[in-house]
Amino acid sequence: MRGPTEAQTRQWQEDGFLVFPGAIAGEQLQRLQRAFDHWAERCKADWLDRIDRGEQAATYYDIPDPLDKDEIFIDIVDHPSYFGCLSEFTGGQPIVLAEQVRTVPPWPFSYTSWHPDVPHSNPLHIKVQIYVNDVAPGRGEFAFVPGSHKRSAGPYTRPLRQESMPGYRTFTGAAGTAVMFNARGWHAAMDNHGGTPRKSIILIYEQRTAGRVDAGTFSSIAHLCTTPERRRLFSLEQ
Amino acid sequence: MPRIDAHAHVFAKPSAQFPRAVDEDCPAGREEPVGKLLEAMHANRIGQAVLVQIGGAEVAQHAYLLHCLREHRDRFRGIGLIPPGDPEPERHMDRLAAEPGIIGFRLFTVGGPRDPFAPIDVRRFATYRIWKHAAAKDYVIWLYARARDAHLIPYLLEQFPQVRVVVNHLGICPGAGAASRDDRGRPRIATPTYNPAFHTTYRLNRYENVVVKLSGQPAFSREQYPYRDLARWHHNLFEAYGPGRLMWGSDFPWNLADPGYARLTSVVRELLPGLSEADHAAIMGANARRFLRFPSPNTD
Repeated sequence: MRGPTEAQTRQWQEDGFLVFPGAIAGEQLQRLQRAFDHWAERCKADWLDRIDRGEQAATYYDIPDPLDKDEIFIDIVDHPSYFGCLSEFTGGQPIVLAEQVRTVPPWPFSYTSWHPDVPHSNPLHIKVQIYVNDVAPGRGEFAFVPGSHKRSAGPYTRPLRQESMPGYRTFTGAAGTAVMFNARGWHAAMDNHGGTPRKSIILIYEQRTAGRVDAGTFSSIAHLCTTPERRRLFSLEQ
Repeated sequence: MPRIDAHAHVFAKPSAQFPRAVDEDCPAGREEPVGKLLEAMHANRIGQAVLVQIGGAEVAQHAYLLHCLREHRDRFRGIGLIPPGDPEPERHMDRLAAEPGIIGFRLFTVGGPRDPFAPIDVRRFATYRIWKHAAAKDYVIWLYARARDAHLIPYLLEQFPQVRVVVNHLGICPGAGAASRDDRGRPRIATPTYNPAFHTTYRLNRYENVVVKLSGQPAFSREQYPYRDLARWHHNLFEAYGPGRLMWGSDFPWNLADPGYARLTSVVRELLPGLSEADHAAIMGANARRFLRFPSPNTD
């Protein structure tokens, strides 16, 4: 597992993000895509029913409980392409909060406006977004305002249009690209003006604090977490 | 400063003069006459109101609404209904709009594909002709969309950005099976604590001709007046739309007994406590006057 280079550490501190092209590749990427498509299809009818009942948004579609559905969704959580950096940045104390296996249909505008996820009072909160299909410009690509994760940055306000955010940068990429970002920073998905849904996986981590994740949260996958590192990552052991 | 109730219903008992549908909302023996509304308005310094049709969508069933609009031209503006599946909605809309005071039409559906991944051709939406005609004739769309339709609204707004749209009842798009009545017969809408409607409602703010009506709180809240569980929702609407694109409405007569009309006139103050006087005045009437083109009270 690779830790961050000096340049990566500097970029992480200054900009608040890192890009890992081809983080998931080859047979593993194909396996991920197959699992993604299989479960997306299997769970779709229930999602549509939940939209009708007003329990789910129609603007994005998350496969429910993905960790229980295929081991590949667990294997990417501590993938060596980026996990060394993530571990280093969290002082060796990362925990997983959630995994979102998400398809975003095209819509007249982005499904999410610009926002930070957590305030500075929150422990370090990191997300890794992995593209499962190719994401070209104007196809709902992830966007981030470099440096907006810093306490001294801003203030920022939410613009009406995604492209009106000052200083933002977009992240296109081939399937398998991963973008790691400090979720204190302002981020969004850009509008998707194409006809293709954006498929991605969002891994949500935090620097460990006592009691943050209940031991039962990931108990259903405990049998697949056989190393002490992975058991700590999923808060199966404190 | 004008104060306008942007959402009220009145109806008479069904008769040859005022035929109407009979249902759970409006049983045959019930009437909520305009005089009762005027009394409540007068007692609370509300000068004008929007009367929203209830009791059927056929032209004849609008008789009491049209009667009220004729009798009180300076006070009321009216919102009509369109029969579902009307083969000529344009004709129906024009017939009603030819009467004094009718300014728009209420829709409960959008009528596009259920699957958000389906190809979208807005011209195939069931309500496309209604929106197109509203754009041509400058009619207001009074929109109370259901959850399944919420994501389709932006497609129509992209096509017809000139249409003035009033998103009803806080932009909470009720889910299937969410509507019921409490033991006093008042509407109740079960709403999840995490309400996914915000994904659409807050983001319609990018369309300049969309305003949101702050009304219906008693139906959506899990609490008693002043419905503090909806404070965050109100705050977010204010953040998204600003003071110039929100309107207060009472949803008369459903909550006349509890919490009462007077307290409903205070609900905006309760749920948006930091409002300036000017912003409060805008939400309580000035916005409705401008957006719905109410006459000055003494000019008619």
